[in-house]
Amino acid sequence: MRNLSDQEIIDSVRKGNDSDYAIIVNRYKNKAFSMLKRMLKNEFDAEEVLQDCFLKAYKSINAFKGDSKFSTWFYRIVYNSALTKLSSQKRKTESEMTSVEDHFNLESEYNTEEIEKEDVKKLIHATISKLPERYSAVITMFYLNEMTIDEISEVMEISVSNVKVILHRSRNALRDLILNSRLAEELI
Amino acid sequence: MIKITDEILNKYLDGELSREETEQVKSQLQSSEELRRKFNALKLVHEKLNMLQEDELSLHFTESLMKQIVKKQFVIPKQQKYFIASVATFITILCLVIFGFSISAVISTTSTSVTESKSVLDSVSYLTDGLVKTLKQLFSGAGLSIIGSIFSIIVLISGYFFFEMQKRSKAHLSNGQQM
Repeated sequence: MRNLSDQEIIDSVRKGNDSDYAIIVNRYKNKAFSMLKRMLKNEFDAEEVLQDCFLKAYKSINAFKGDSKFSTWFYRIVYNSALTKLSSQKRKTESEMTSVEDHFNLESEYNTEEIEKEDVKKLIHATISKLPERYSAVITMFYLNEMTIDEISEVMEISVSNVKVILHRSRNALRDLILNSRLAEELI
Repeated sequence: MIKITDEILNKYLDGELSREETEQVKSQLQSSEELRRKFNALKLVHEKLNMLQEDELSLHFTESLMKQIVKKQFVIPKQQKYFIASVATFITILCLVIFGFSISAVISTTSTSVTESKSVLDSVSYLTDGLVKTLKQLFSGAGLSIIGSIFSIIVLISGYFFFEMQKRSKAHLSNGQQM
C-alpha cells in the first residue's frame, strides 16, 4: 500500500474512517513523545499529555483547515499542552519568567572532568533534557523532527530570529560542555 | 574584517552567511587555533545532535488511545446528559399529573358505585372505563388545546437549548483549531 499523506488520512477520518487515525498516531507518537519527555523531564507525564494531545487533535480534526501542515498544527497542540502541564505543576515556565535572554549553566550539572569519549553522544542527548523547556523543544523539533526554523516559529508562536537565538544558545551550551571536558583535545 | 562571534560561527555552520562572510570566517579559522577549536566543538555537537533518536512508546499506546476514541464517541457529554434528564423528568412529571388527576376524578365520581359492586373484576373494569372516559374528556376540546400548548412550549424550549448546545460545541471546536 502506498504511503498516504497526512491530508489524505485526515480526509478519510473526516469521512468516518476513525480507524485511519491510528496511522496518524503511529506516525507522530514517538517524535511527539521525545519532545514532551524532554520538555516535561518526566516519562509518565509525557505519555499522559501525549494521549490528551491526540484526543484533542481528533476532536478538532474537522476544524483543521489545512492552512499549515498537519505536523505543525499537531506540534502546536503538543507544545501548548506541555506548557499548560508545566504551569499546572506550578513550575516556572520560560514564557512566564524570562525572554530569550536568560542564562543557564549546564556545567554545574556535570563533572566535565569525568566525561568519557564514548559517552559524548549519550551525554549530549541526555543534556538536552537539562536545557530549559523552550530550548529542548527547539532542539528536538529541529534535529529529531527535522522541522524548519519557520515551522518551529509557527509552532512556538515566536519570531524566526528568536528560534535561531534559542538554537544557537543551546548548541553553544553543549559546545562549552565539551570544550571544558578533559577529552576536549582528543574529541576536537 | 568581521568579528567572529558565537552567532557568526553558528550561522557559518548552518550555511547562512554570504559568500564574502564565509570566506572571511574560513580565513580566520585557518589562522586562529582557538577559533578552530571552538568551531570544531560546535560541529561535533551538531553532528551528535543529528544522530538524535526517537524515544519508543509502549506498543499498546495506539491501541489504548483508539479504544478511548471509540468509547468517547458513545459517551453523551455531561451538559447534554443534564439537558436530556431535565426534559425527561419534566415529561414524566406532566404524565404523572395527568394520570393522577384522571384517577382522582374517576375515584371521586364513582366511589359509591365501586363499593356497591360485588366482584373485584367488576370494580377494576368500572375504574378502567372511568379512566378512559376521563382521559377522553381531557384530550378532547379545550383539554387537548392546553396539553398541545404545553407540549409545543416544551418543544420550543428544547429546540432553543439544542441550538445553544450546537453553537457552544462549534465554538469549542474553533478553540481547538486556534490552539
